[in-house]
Amino acid sequence: MIVLFIDFLGYFHPVLVHLPIGILLLAGLFQFMSRSEKYKSLKPAIGISLFWGMLGAIASCITGFILSRSGDYDGDLISTHQRFGITVAIVTIVAYSLNKKNNPAAQWSIALMVLLVIITGHLGGSITHGSDYLTKNFSLKKDEVANKRKPVANMQEALLYHEVVQPILESNCYGCHGPNKQKSKLRLDDPDFIMKGGKNGTIIFAGNVDKSKMIERLLLPLSDEDHMPPKEKPQLSKNDIEVLKWWVENGADFHKQVKDFPQPDRIKPVLLAMQSGEQKSAVSPTSIPLTNVNAGDKNAIEKLKERGVSIFSVAQNSNYLSATFVAVDGITQSDLNLLEQLRDQLIWLKLGDTKINDEQLKTIAKLTALTKLYLERTGITDNGLQHLKALSQLQYLNVIGTNISIKGIGQLKQLKKLDQLYVFQSGITGNDFRKMQSMFPTALIDNGSASMAFLQSDTVVINEPIFVP
Amino acid sequence: MTQQDLHNQRLLKEAEQKVMHQHTRRHFIKESAMGLGALALGSMFGSCGNSSSSTTANLFDAANPLAPKAPMFPGKAKSVIFIHMAGAPSQLELFSYKPELAKLDGLECPQSLLEGKKFAFIRGVPKMLGPQANFRQHGQSGTWMSDYLPHLSTMVDDMAIINSVTTEQFNHAPAQLLMHTGSARLGRPSMGSWVTYGLGSENKNLPGFVVLTSGGNNPDAGKSVWGSGFLPSVYQGVQCRSEGDPVLFIKDPAGMDRDLRKASIDAINKVNQQQYEEYKDPEILSRIAQYEMAYKMQISVPDVMNINDEPAAMHEMYGTSPGEASFANNILLARKLVEKGVRFVQLFDWGWDMHGDSSGNAVNIGLVNKCRKVDKPITALLLDLKQRGLLDETLVVWGAEFGRTPMRENREGKEMLFKGRDHHAEAFTIWMAGGGIKGGVTYGETDEIGYSVVSGKTEVYDIQATILNQLGFNHEQFTYESQGRPFRLTDVSGKVITDILA
Repeated sequence: MIVLFIDFLGYFHPVLVHLPIGILLLAGLFQFMSRSEKYKSLKPAIGISLFWGMLGAIASCITGFILSRSGDYDGDLISTHQRFGITVAIVTIVAYSLNKKNNPAAQWSIALMVLLVIITGHLGGSITHGSDYLTKNFSLKKDEVANKRKPVANMQEALLYHEVVQPILESNCYGCHGPNKQKSKLRLDDPDFIMKGGKNGTIIFAGNVDKSKMIERLLLPLSDEDHMPPKEKPQLSKNDIEVLKWWVENGADFHKQVKDFPQPDRIKPVLLAMQSGEQKSAVSPTSIPLTNVNAGDKNAIEKLKERGVSIFSVAQNSNYLSATFVAVDGITQSDLNLLEQLRDQLIWLKLGDTKINDEQLKTIAKLTALTKLYLERTGITDNGLQHLKALSQLQYLNVIGTNISIKGIGQLKQLKKLDQLYVFQSGITGNDFRKMQSMFPTALIDNGSASMAFLQSDTVVINEPIFVP
Repeated sequence: MTQQDLHNQRLLKEAEQKVMHQHTRRHFIKESAMGLGALALGSMFGSCGNSSSSTTANLFDAANPLAPKAPMFPGKAKSVIFIHMAGAPSQLELFSYKPELAKLDGLECPQSLLEGKKFAFIRGVPKMLGPQANFRQHGQSGTWMSDYLPHLSTMVDDMAIINSVTTEQFNHAPAQLLMHTGSARLGRPSMGSWVTYGLGSENKNLPGFVVLTSGGNNPDAGKSVWGSGFLPSVYQGVQCRSEGDPVLFIKDPAGMDRDLRKASIDAINKVNQQQYEEYKDPEILSRIAQYEMAYKMQISVPDVMNINDEPAAMHEMYGTSPGEASFANNILLARKLVEKGVRFVQLFDWGWDMHGDSSGNAVNIGLVNKCRKVDKPITALLLDLKQRGLLDETLVVWGAEFGRTPMRENREGKEMLFKGRDHHAEAFTIWMAGGGIKGGVTYGETDEIGYSVVSGKTEVYDIQATILNQLGFNHEQFTYESQGRPFRLTDVSGKVITDILA
């Protein structure tokens, strides 16, 4: 009970400290002013303010000492603040007694006291508001506020802890479990501290998500008192929690890269979203490769642009390219050679309505990164299509309005990733279509059989209300 | 030196002389004085302002404003077809099934619904009006849709229907502006302008943002709903017509052949180029680019806007007949434009304002006829995009500026001859399909009479945020610096409706 009461006294420190600060600064001001003839009458007030300021300083020291034992604060900052606080109290006592004796050294001790009060006050402020509190608006990093994390440039190559997990902890947890404060004696800003846990014991059991208190606290409902972060603080996103779970599940490792860990389907879109910084994975994880590539040859890209080819990155932080020939009249071998230089980067290629021929498809077949290929309304035949066997990453193929037959398309049977095929207005109809479905059992195949029922009402204009029962 | 070079030289000289001619002593003195002032001001303010903030720099390449650009992240949709039913059809006759409202038909509206509300036409105490259409469940998803749209109801498994949209405006023009520009007042860029600004155009011969109107009138908000606001003017929507010349004055005038046209455009651009060197105003470069685009469009636009060559089966499916200014023709054109790499096709169909002031404006007569004109084409569009392998990368949005009241309109407090509904901002329906939107979804709920939203409240800004997200933009970071601060389409609101994303 008594211990509780003493702890309770400690909480008055943040209120109490403002009294000695104000009163002692006032004493300094009186001392300074009384040097002039006009304010000489203030002299007696110096002693009074020093006396009350001294009492306040001593009370602050005592409550401050009690508060510091709660352990919620950073050790280094506290001990400096403590030393300065005690010094302030001592210097104030000295100044008070010197002043009482009308010793001329009193004014120097008061000046020293004022300086110490300012320093101690600043240190105290740093403990509650963070050490960068005063200067953060001047510093160049002001844009990097909490919760605005930068997307990871290359997720697969990234270090799982340092580049993915740590930024999540930094923006959401360090405030209370970091260098400045250690609520519940827990620090999360260093691997050793994380594994050590807090006053309630270990928070992470490598490989065991269910036992790990940290994950449990995150997953508790917001209304639960034990939920972390506290409900008035910014919350982790679903993706953040998903990543932390995955990290703990795989042993809470601090050194390896993302690519070193097994990536089940549920984690792939999450990683992709963190890489691009989007709000929700808008793209299914298969349509743009997870691995990164080097930038494509600038020269080749420029030349293609000059030819009127619309070629650009699929996203601002990606080197993968999309190219469209929709505004190009004829496609030449030199165009294709330029494309070949970009074979590692080019994933989407639109050649619809161009004059591409079977011979040129040989070069297309070298663009092995392609996932989407549009060849609609071109003069290609079964003969040319066989070259495309080499496009092992191909997922989408559009050959509508061509003379491709079931024989031609059958040559692509071994392309395991091919899951969207558009063959409307091609040589594949009726029975062949059913054959094709058995060739590509898991793919979405559209042969343009779309039709609409004929309805009598379509062309009738009514003048009377239609009857509603 | 050829004849033409000589000619151009003369032209440049003439332009120069013209400028000199207009440059009087007063100009000279004014410029000298202003110049000094400007120098002083410039040095004073040099350190502030936005020139240093590289993070919000506008990505505008004046010489090539429509060059394709990468989105922020790989977007699922490459293009958007936004079908706007101008006038605002009744959600209670089309998508929002309210059997309870039928039971209240003809009863007086309770005071609690009227207190503190403003209506465009309803006065006093109106009567409730039950749904005039029959509703059935459709598709594997069991989505409710009315028999006013018999064809579209076969497509429910591809659509995400948002029944809980709300807006802030209950008059047509401001509500349309809000829907398309993110502000009920004039001056902001439209969604299509933002998108072409951010992504450019995949086809250098066609505008990136095309507007097609039908129904006999332009939308009430006028051309501002496809305006470019403070974005460079090159991003404004280009209105094309499905009747007559697709773009006004697209043909060369009589007696002028294509070579002469080319030569004159080259000459004009030379003069403009010279002006640019002098003043460095990037709008001049966009003007040059626009002249060149206009020249290319003379060939490419009539070609893409010609629906005569479409096979008969297509005309049958869409219900099109070439040569008229119909909604069906516009829908078919929208598909053709998207196929050719146009980024944003904006359709407006006028005449959905069913107040009940005439039989053509009655929810049980005029609305039925209007629905029959759009039901088939919209369904055909979805089917056709699907069979062409384009639905995945084309986001189709259907909507209007607001909804209609569950009360029957009583203009001037009197019972009207026909059944109609007044403007209603608190609940209406928008649906989306394709472009990475989940099919067979009904999102959000209204109360049992469809008066206000109970769950999944969706603001206009949320619709805009979702469209931008599907194209690969984070709507909070996609900004344009104007008048000293960055602007966004969604202003200070908007959240992506993640529940309808595939």
